[in-house]
Amino acid sequence: MTPFDFFVLSGLLFAVGLFGVIVRRNVISLFFSLELLLNSANVLLVGFSKLHGNLFGEVFVFFVLAVAAAEAAVGLAIVVALYRYRKSVNTEDFSLLRW
Amino acid sequence: MREVFFYLFAFLSVAFAVISVTHKNVIKGGLALLSSFIALGAVYFTAGAEFIGIVQVIVYGGAIVVLYLFALMTMDLKSFGKEPLRALSLAVGGAVSLVLFVSVLYAGYRFYGGSLTAGISGAKEIALPLFYRFLLPFEVISVLLLVATVGAVAVGRREE
Repeated sequence: MTPFDFFVLSGLLFAVGLFGVIVRRNVISLFFSLELLLNSANVLLVGFSKLHGNLFGEVFVFFVLAVAAAEAAVGLAIVVALYRYRKSVNTEDFSLLRW
Repeated sequence: MREVFFYLFAFLSVAFAVISVTHKNVIKGGLALLSSFIALGAVYFTAGAEFIGIVQVIVYGGAIVVLYLFALMTMDLKSFGKEPLRALSLAVGGAVSLVLFVSVLYAGYRFYGGSLTAGISGAKEIALPLFYRFLLPFEVISVLLLVATVGAVAVGRREE
């Protein structure tokens, strides 16, 4: 278990999440991918915290968790409101403002 | 022993993340995401970040994913329809994520072979920096959570 292993795990999670953000069209699946992106950053913060021997990275992970909870609450409220108007969660049905 | 569990749970979290991103059924994808987060909490445990591991399981597993699943219950799953797979977006997504993965590995290469501190950071150790040095961000985060709660209720309520 070296710091490099944290880089590999974080990079894999970030790659999977970014792939999902680009490929998926379902808004809920996009949210899942966004959570994976946030988690990959958390993995690296914990790894650096353990590498440097101080706890500032883990405190920052705590803040990231709180922001992720706020993002999930507001994002889901927007998705539910949109679903009520359009009866759809597919991003291709939300192209009203597209140029 | 720690090493074995670290690699086991790291593999599990990545495998469940792949399932959650690629599965057609959103509910099953959400459950795979829940498993991925719990496996990630176990990874934090093996690294000695005890408090973060517990909070990861409680907040991500217990709050966020359950919130998603509850929101999914208010929707009609049959109306979601098919997602056609486009070769272009598959190619672009694969290429971009591969480039990012390689660049993360390149950035981390100089930490190859280093060693980690073996200390365990529980609630007591985290509390010291959190409530002394980072007290103002902590209070700001609590205001942010309040604003987000009020905003979510305001956005989600039905119009009269």
